[in-house]
Amino acid sequence: MGEASAPRDRMEPLERLLNLVGLLLESRTPLTFDEIRGTLDAYQTDNLESAKRMFERDKDVLREYGVPLRMEDTDAWGTEQGYVIRKDEYYLPEISFTPEEITALFVASQSGREETAVEQGVRKLVFGADGGVLAGKAGGPLVAGSDAPGTAVLAAADAAQQRRRIRFGYRTAQGTEAERDVDAWGVVFRGGHWYLVGHDRGRDEVRAFRMSRVITLFADGGEGSEPPEGFRARDHVEAGPWDVHGGERASIAFDPEVAWLARDGFAEARDDGVLDDGRVVVSVPFADEGILAAAVLQYGADAEVLEPAAVRDEVVRRLHEVVDA
Amino acid sequence: MPERRRAPSRTSERLGRMLTIVPYLVRHEGTTLDEAASLFGVAPEQLRKDLELLFMSGLPPYGPGDLIDVWIDDDGSVSIAMADHFARPLRLTRQEALAVYLRGTELLATPGVPEAPALASALEKLRASLGDDTLGDVGGIEAASRGAAPALLEEVRAASAGRRRLRIGYVAASSGERTERLIEPEEVFSGLGRWYVAAWDLEADGERLFRIDRIRSAEATGETFEPRGLAGAGRPLYSPTDDDVEVRLRLRPGARWVAEYYATTDEREVEDGAIEVTLPSRRLVWVARLLLRVGTDAVVLEPAELRDLVRDEAVATLARYGT
Repeated sequence: MGEASAPRDRMEPLERLLNLVGLLLESRTPLTFDEIRGTLDAYQTDNLESAKRMFERDKDVLREYGVPLRMEDTDAWGTEQGYVIRKDEYYLPEISFTPEEITALFVASQSGREETAVEQGVRKLVFGADGGVLAGKAGGPLVAGSDAPGTAVLAAADAAQQRRRIRFGYRTAQGTEAERDVDAWGVVFRGGHWYLVGHDRGRDEVRAFRMSRVITLFADGGEGSEPPEGFRARDHVEAGPWDVHGGERASIAFDPEVAWLARDGFAEARDDGVLDDGRVVVSVPFADEGILAAAVLQYGADAEVLEPAAVRDEVVRRLHEVVDA
Repeated sequence: MPERRRAPSRTSERLGRMLTIVPYLVRHEGTTLDEAASLFGVAPEQLRKDLELLFMSGLPPYGPGDLIDVWIDDDGSVSIAMADHFARPLRLTRQEALAVYLRGTELLATPGVPEAPALASALEKLRASLGDDTLGDVGGIEAASRGAAPALLEEVRAASAGRRRLRIGYVAASSGERTERLIEPEEVFSGLGRWYVAAWDLEADGERLFRIDRIRSAEATGETFEPRGLAGAGRPLYSPTDDDVEVRLRLRPGARWVAEYYATTDEREVEDGAIEVTLPSRRLVWVARLLLRVGTDAVVLEPAELRDLVRDEAVATLARYGT
């Protein structure tokens, strides 16, 4: 390289910015705008005001990219302030990654929704790749992202970490919309969905909110509260229509062709023998008769609840409702 | 695998790229321009332009000996000197660190991701190193894994990687009906907690999406195939075809979840919190069973034959219960 250099009167913004970062990183004392202007000829335009505006824009660009630009007193008497970038705030600490680890981070950044923050973060981490990156690191997105925007999940995680109280609009699975007032405690990823878990002040209960049903931005409501000792957010993620999880168990007879499907479809299902007619009995845990009845009904005549009677009755009641409708 | 969209080359992005790539090139001497470009998701020509600007920057007093030196050898390898102040990258911002951690958590919650152990240790390093002041306390960020990976995930994944045709036994979810199919498995991916393979179905002569947990047998035929570039993760999990029947439903509040779980279209709010949606479907029997599950919170608007089908299913199921 090293061909002709660009004319000095039309310096590219990138070059100016690189020089500015270098200058403020290496300077032992904070520098005032006048001092910066005296050193970097890019700001030595005839018009002082336009130079100042250029500098203001440059500061914005640096901050936008996360460069920790600070203002500090230039002397012990605090008469004047100048700009500085502190090395301990600027430089990434040493984190070395094995080729497998860095490849896994790459796969993660390529999975899911395209998100600038993830990609930029991983690119910074590649610096610490000991022994390089494995071939095939661009193997394509492996996992489709959640159904909530990454920025919303980020805001939820941030609120939970800072123990903030937040307000937001929420639509329940039944379509009811209401404002919620919640002390954020944690976020959980489960079955392809992100949930925010916290103390719902309006209902005075720990509740889980599916992020895809949050219909407004979060409004910060000040300091929140600490979760109780031993709190685990994932214990509070409510059962969706697919999850019948619970303490009691029910026995369901399935036609052999669909029995395996049922075993996969119900959490913690287990085989519980075979009937004389060849049907397979599967035992499944449940908490709510209605939810279990609904889940069994999707198998139509290929499934029959044997016990408990309450669930059996619920299935029959629902079927009569459908026939009479 | 399609290229990801490249970001426009705005100044802040170019700056960010330089503050990230230059430290990498300083530390990993001998990296070629093309390698760096692919690693950092930038076109080689753009990277060359950026590096050409780099060697005009430096430190005061900006004499010839104060500027950064950049060479690109004939073999494309890049060397950078006089860039001590850019010898380490910028810290991750809190946003970036948290976003990487959350994304990693998503993958860890998905059973069957081969990179999971390496990813877990990478996230642990991130936590240990950036936790205190950047990433914060990650104790409240949890992954709740659901179940195990499908039994044949590895077989399908290996066939996809090796571009080998598979004969599979596939079971339809609603009926349990099993069919034999000959497929070219292109992209294996996970979506909303399930594993899928986007494949070419040779008998149907069309693109199909198969849920891997419903593949009950898989056998390589010994033939290989040329990928057609079928889309993997991020695609809609249901692709309508010409054979689809358009089912129009009214969903009362208790059944609105149907619109969240399935690829419905033409959603319209009607009175009392109900919505009307169109559910494109290949098999009416499947919809009938879905409607058994939903019960009277859903009303079939069309086609009329679906109403009869639901009733027939209900009657047949009641017979099981002896009523």
